[in-house]
Amino acid sequence: MEFAATVVILTCTYALLAAGIVILYKAGRVVNFAHGELAIVGGYVFYSSGLMAGGMSVWLAIAGALVFSVVMGVVIYMAMMRRLVGEPFYVAILVTVGLGIVLKSAILVIWRAERLTIDVGVAPAIRLAGGASLSYMDVASVALTIAFFAGLYLFFSFTRLGIQFRGTAENALLASQRGVNVNFVLSLAWVIAIMAASLSGVLFGGRAFLSTESVTIGLAGLTAALVGGLDSLRGAVAGAFIVACAQYLTVRLIDPVLSEAVPFLLLLLVMSIRPWGLFGTLEELDRV
Amino acid sequence: MARAGTNLRTNYVEANEVLRRPYQRVLIVIVLAGALLLPAASSTYFVHLLDLCLLSAIGALGLMLLTGYCGQISLGHAAFLAVGAFTTVILTVHVGAPFVVVLPAAALSGALLGFIVGLPSLRFRGVYLAISTLAMHYAIIYLATSYQAKFGSSATAGITIPDPSIGPLVLAGDHAWYYFLLVLTALITAGCVNLVRTRPGRAWMAIRDRDIAAQALGINLARYKLLAFMASSSLASLSGSLLAYYSNVVTVEKYTLDLAVIYVAMIIVGGMGSILGALLGAIFITLLPFGIDSLFGYLPRAWRFGSTLFGVQVGAVGVCIIAFLLFEPKGLAEIWRRIETYFDRWPFRYRPLETARR
Amino acid sequence: MNRLTSRTFFAALVLTACTCSANVASAQNSYVVGYITDLSGPLADSYTPTWEGFELYIKALNDRGGIDGKKVDVVLDDDGLKADRAVAAAKKQAERDNVVGIFGLSLSSTQGPVYAEMRKVGVPVVTTFSGILDALPPSKPFSYSTGVVFEVAGEAIGELIKNIKPNGKVVGMTFDSVGGRAAISHNKRMVESLGYTWDEVIFPVTTSDFTPFAQAVAEKKPDIVVGHYGSGQNLGVIPALRRSGYAGPYVIASYGVTEDTVRQAAQRAGNDQNVYYVTRYSTVYDVNPGVAEVAAAQKKYGTAKPFSSMHITGWELGKFAESALKGCGWPCSREKLDQVIQTLKVDANGLTGGPIEMSPQDHYGPSYWRLYVWNDSARKMEPKSDWLKKTALKFPVQ
Repeated sequence: MEFAATVVILTCTYALLAAGIVILYKAGRVVNFAHGELAIVGGYVFYSSGLMAGGMSVWLAIAGALVFSVVMGVVIYMAMMRRLVGEPFYVAILVTVGLGIVLKSAILVIWRAERLTIDVGVAPAIRLAGGASLSYMDVASVALTIAFFAGLYLFFSFTRLGIQFRGTAENALLASQRGVNVNFVLSLAWVIAIMAASLSGVLFGGRAFLSTESVTIGLAGLTAALVGGLDSLRGAVAGAFIVACAQYLTVRLIDPVLSEAVPFLLLLLVMSIRPWGLFGTLEELDRV
Repeated sequence: MARAGTNLRTNYVEANEVLRRPYQRVLIVIVLAGALLLPAASSTYFVHLLDLCLLSAIGALGLMLLTGYCGQISLGHAAFLAVGAFTTVILTVHVGAPFVVVLPAAALSGALLGFIVGLPSLRFRGVYLAISTLAMHYAIIYLATSYQAKFGSSATAGITIPDPSIGPLVLAGDHAWYYFLLVLTALITAGCVNLVRTRPGRAWMAIRDRDIAAQALGINLARYKLLAFMASSSLASLSGSLLAYYSNVVTVEKYTLDLAVIYVAMIIVGGMGSILGALLGAIFITLLPFGIDSLFGYLPRAWRFGSTLFGVQVGAVGVCIIAFLLFEPKGLAEIWRRIETYFDRWPFRYRPLETARR
Repeated sequence: MNRLTSRTFFAALVLTACTCSANVASAQNSYVVGYITDLSGPLADSYTPTWEGFELYIKALNDRGGIDGKKVDVVLDDDGLKADRAVAAAKKQAERDNVVGIFGLSLSSTQGPVYAEMRKVGVPVVTTFSGILDALPPSKPFSYSTGVVFEVAGEAIGELIKNIKPNGKVVGMTFDSVGGRAAISHNKRMVESLGYTWDEVIFPVTTSDFTPFAQAVAEKKPDIVVGHYGSGQNLGVIPALRRSGYAGPYVIASYGVTEDTVRQAAQRAGNDQNVYYVTRYSTVYDVNPGVAEVAAAQKKYGTAKPFSSMHITGWELGKFAESALKGCGWPCSREKLDQVIQTLKVDANGLTGGPIEMSPQDHYGPSYWRLYVWNDSARKMEPKSDWLKKTALKFPVQ
């Protein structure tokens, strides 16, 4: 029972990260290596904004995280990614690597490398069969993730902006010639991706803790996205589930120490068999 | 025959030249002489910093060949440094091999592992290749950690290595190491320059620019990609081995993913696709934290601590990466080329066209 | 040449020039010692308060007039938990600041290189908090430690858990580092020699979500769980263990774990009763003249980090430094200081179970360890055993 619960919660964390990476890839063909750092900094911002009025206020915290997502998304796109149009693919990737380092240093400078725990509803609350228990935060994680994906689905399928988004993902040049404000759409892509990442970071901070070392979840999220297919949201969820399962099983059955490397080994395996990911499209392979 | 400037090569003869003008030869002599005399005018602390620069330069040259010239992104450089260091440990502790045997052996083991790590490059490109090098990094570090743990409890703080000796001479002390490293780096640089201007280099650049076209031209992709990986990893292993001897201690905790990113930063800041860039980038990134340290020394004491200093040092590398990629993608080497060209064409701003002269 | 180029060039020149700039050297008429530790890196939370404790002692000492009228100047450097920076700082302190001894240091991986380099120039190095085997017999010259050596701690903990349960199954947890594995291996040998059964779970260094590992531990049905890692991991492991259904005793091996962390961890786990703590130095809740002295100094001079046993550790190191320098006399040289330290005995005044005693063959000396339990209703830690004296490793290192 606890196996299922833990894997589901882990899947949610990775799925949110993978979704962000997929959105960014589809929108701008950029693979974001700074996603883990964005998630953790989002968690820190959530925590600090919540404390601004003395005592932990969840509404302030959410507002703070939203502001952070919007500001960061717009700044990253406008100031950096936009200038890199036309450059070889690795330039954008390396810029995100640099961005990750800067964000990590922000944790060191602004939050003095403190280990933060987000203590909203983390005590064991619901007893499961077999002795383990879940906390309210765990339940909220799953609920919020499902809500987020549902929201994404509705957004992309039924709203005008969502359809413009998909158009830009297909072919930005044609979309712009049809009157789509590509800059707005791409900035929005970054904002949504960072929101997903922040949500993931907050949930992670509730289950474990936030620190400069936690940023490695970004790499696990990236492998989940690659396994599922870099241009498929469905694949993001599937990939996240597979990576979460693999990690959990490695810890319980094989050797806990390997759990860090397992996502990559899994990825190597998938890439040898089906390089474009489980749900990805074949043509995408050559674009990167 | 009027030439179009120091950096623009318009025919095969020019493309093969290493030093184009007399002033460049003079410049090299001045730089080498200065480098030889530098220790006499500086403190041991500064010579120690220079030693660190030279050690990273060797590793940076390796990565430059792989990523700057051949275009294969690799995040596994730290793992190769570790391979060199641990080969040194195994050979000195278990076999008792002397310095002159260990160094080439380390380079060889690096080359061998580079071959293995390079195999995915035959199937993947771009970010997929980067991720596969990452997987290799974790695999190698896991093995190294297991080895160090089995070494016995005395290795908690690292495995000690004695100072190397070449015959009766013992290589110890920052000054001795400086001269040794200077000569070695100069030789390696010369080797890399030659590698780059002959067939392998041209093949690599073709692969970097458009590998399908390169293949169509008859370049054996597998052979040259693997050659790039092997060259890069053998230089990295060499660097790791030298560092192990220099610091007399080897511990696996030093070889993190962050270290690999720092080497990538070196070649970005230096300028991808330029040997000079590798050297400049290595010096810049190595000295950067110490420079920031000194700068902070002028600020009131409260600012020095509580993560601000460390955070700024970490962040500075990231800021450099972003700033150089956005504003100066060809790095420090390009800045140098611009300075060179400015003086070359002075007082003109542009070279007159050949047709205009008639 | 465009402006951007010249600006960049200039900036690069400035930075390079700065690395050559000299740091301010200290005054001549005082003892100069060096202190290098992690003040801003990943483990600053543990090492900074240790430095603050040392600084408190030196401040109090200087206010008293110093040692026979001579004040003590401390040159402080940050190593950011990196061995390269620690070595560079040590070389700088030895060469430019002319320190007569170096104190502090940080993580074990930084200690080896610094010990090795300072051995070459003959500067005695005394570490506190972490410790490596260089100080244990056969002791290497110029290398001393008043801190927590993993192997010794592992054995001490093994002996002390008799006070919790005399037999049963012990599961040890640590992260995949050389130090962690060393501590675990000694812990294992000790408990097995006392009749317990042993199992272990090791997780990657960068783990933040401990749930699967906690479940792996719970599955083994332990009677006691021991955790060999620092503050952060304890904060994550304890709630995860409780969530996975393990409600038994959990022992925190104190490698820089502050009382604050214990309080937070217990709170996260739902106000826990079964949390134990093994440490070499007193906790801030102990009532004895030594702790009172440190607390008073902390109140008087103030510290950035909340008062914890790390301050006590640093204070004791300060006391050690004073004794050493006093014995050295004036003028003090490095060789003389080294000679003095080799036979130094420093009273702990309650801060640990007995005095710190160095000898020419043993640069660590006997160490005293105690088991505490967290009493949640009283919101403090209480001793659960007497001070256990360790004079040597029962399972010597090969």
